[in-house]
Amino acid sequence: MASTDNPSSIRNNQSTKRPTVVLGLGNPLMADEGIGVCLVERLAESLLDYPDVDFLDAGTGGLAVLHHMAGRRKAILVDCAYMEQEPGAIRRFSPDDVRSKKVLAHQSLHDADLLRIIGMARELGQAPEEIVIFGIQPELIEFRQGLSVTLANGIDRCLAAIRAELDAQ
Amino acid sequence: MSKGTVNINVHHVTRVEGHGNIVLNATNGKIEKLQWQVPEAPRFFEAMVRGRSYEDIQTIVSRICGICSITHSLASTKAVENAMGIRVSEQADKVRILMHYSEQLQSHVLHVGYLAAPDFFGVPSVVPLVGIAPDAVKTIIGLHRLANEWSDLIAGRTTHPVTLKPGGLTKFPTEKELRDLQERLKKCLPDLKVVAEVVLSVAAKIPNFQRPTEYVSLKQDNPPTYTFYHGEITSTDYDGAVAINDWKTVANEYVCDQSTAKWTKWHRKSYAVGALARFNNNAELLSPTAKAVAKMFNLQKGCCNPYMNTVAQLVECVHVVEVSIQMIDELLTKGIKPETVRTSPKAGKASGCVEAPRGILFHEYEFDRKGNCVGADICIPTNQNHASMQEDFEVLVPQIIDEPEDQIRLKLEMLVRSYDPCISCSTHMLDVQFVR
Repeated sequence: MASTDNPSSIRNNQSTKRPTVVLGLGNPLMADEGIGVCLVERLAESLLDYPDVDFLDAGTGGLAVLHHMAGRRKAILVDCAYMEQEPGAIRRFSPDDVRSKKVLAHQSLHDADLLRIIGMARELGQAPEEIVIFGIQPELIEFRQGLSVTLANGIDRCLAAIRAELDAQ
Repeated sequence: MSKGTVNINVHHVTRVEGHGNIVLNATNGKIEKLQWQVPEAPRFFEAMVRGRSYEDIQTIVSRICGICSITHSLASTKAVENAMGIRVSEQADKVRILMHYSEQLQSHVLHVGYLAAPDFFGVPSVVPLVGIAPDAVKTIIGLHRLANEWSDLIAGRTTHPVTLKPGGLTKFPTEKELRDLQERLKKCLPDLKVVAEVVLSVAAKIPNFQRPTEYVSLKQDNPPTYTFYHGEITSTDYDGAVAINDWKTVANEYVCDQSTAKWTKWHRKSYAVGALARFNNNAELLSPTAKAVAKMFNLQKGCCNPYMNTVAQLVECVHVVEVSIQMIDELLTKGIKPETVRTSPKAGKASGCVEAPRGILFHEYEFDRKGNCVGADICIPTNQNHASMQEDFEVLVPQIIDEPEDQIRLKLEMLVRSYDPCISCSTHMLDVQFVR
């Protein structure tokens, strides 16, 4: 049901489906937990340079990530991640490179393990051919608007890494 | 632990929206404490909208909820229009109802498939269900996705609609978009039947519990409609209908110690709202396939088993899809005509009412002559259900007190989930007087 007069933009749950989607994940009200959303907002400023790419703020959607990824050839997920790295470090990896240590409380549909959701999408035959994750190690996770100084200072470096991924397509 | 001696304290029930606690202390079958507690913080929306323009209200109050944001927007927009005497065209009215149906499907599918179903299969969440019933999970996800895209088309986006404005809509779907939507809706009816069959296969897990209850919902006689949008207020204890502006004579809200959300009562100590309430008041007006699905489960008018609310939601999923297919035909027959809406503010006070997926919702606003809000009162379906949930606890627990503690806990959790509560919507602005 593509609506041809809807331009691609950073909006939730849009109906256009370009081959690649960049999903910014996280909660901007929890300091560095919002890094994924922050980076995708910045990337979307150059959306006209990437006609085959949708940039979406997926927030804390949990299972909604399934919907965003379905029908795509490639998904790039950008999220805050505990990776035992220095705060501010950005690592590119595929879901098969890692094992999740997250323990779910099953409290709500927002309480989701991204790697399990990817696994679910694969089991259902709805996962993109290629999934890339950019994890950024947080410094500060607490109720607060705005990133920590460390992550704020590293935004350009993170953007360069993700743009290199997009430019290599 | 001996039979009849239980200490259950479910801190934050899982798989519901918001936070609620179940507390049960009993010794040798004697119940010492039994409470459904709502500790959710007040939201202050009724204070936030004061001083804001009538044109801004729906944008703000849609933020009350992420699941039923369209419903809040519609109720508030209707209230604004009623307060200022703003009329809406027939086509805008129909498209708004179409928008409303998209949220019914989205919310019900989410509840039946992701929140309630895990209990029927004995798993903690929908994720393990992929291994147990992959085709059913795929179908549920597909239906949820369709509902999201349907909302996106009509409301501008799934959460927090952008196409509503007093007097009409900012954007109408094109005729091609409506035809495409109609095709997808026709294709999803068999999927809904599949979901119904899967739920039927585990229907033995639905506890058999009856409590005579008053059920409150909208009722529309002109024309007779299984209504979510127009009509007046009625109940299974009341033969007549109450005008929307008189909703406070129905709700009779009062503050309760164990809850930050108010409770309500009408002809009994409590009443229930939601899909089962709508069914009990209007079942004869369901679409043909929806009636057939109700028959599969032997769901009949007069049902007072709260656990069957989930089945009633499934029935309503089928209904909203079938009537939407017909509604799109009506819109396409007349064609979508461009509209220009101009409104002027004036002083007024009125209410707007729609059926949220989880029950009847009231918004009331008062505006000054410049169209700025000077007062608001919002009564949410879930806060109307809290007293009913407590009464259910009080009748159910003595019946099951000798069962193992885990089973009691599960049945109480399933009971709460069956109401599909939207708890953080239901907490209310405090109105206090300092005494020291």
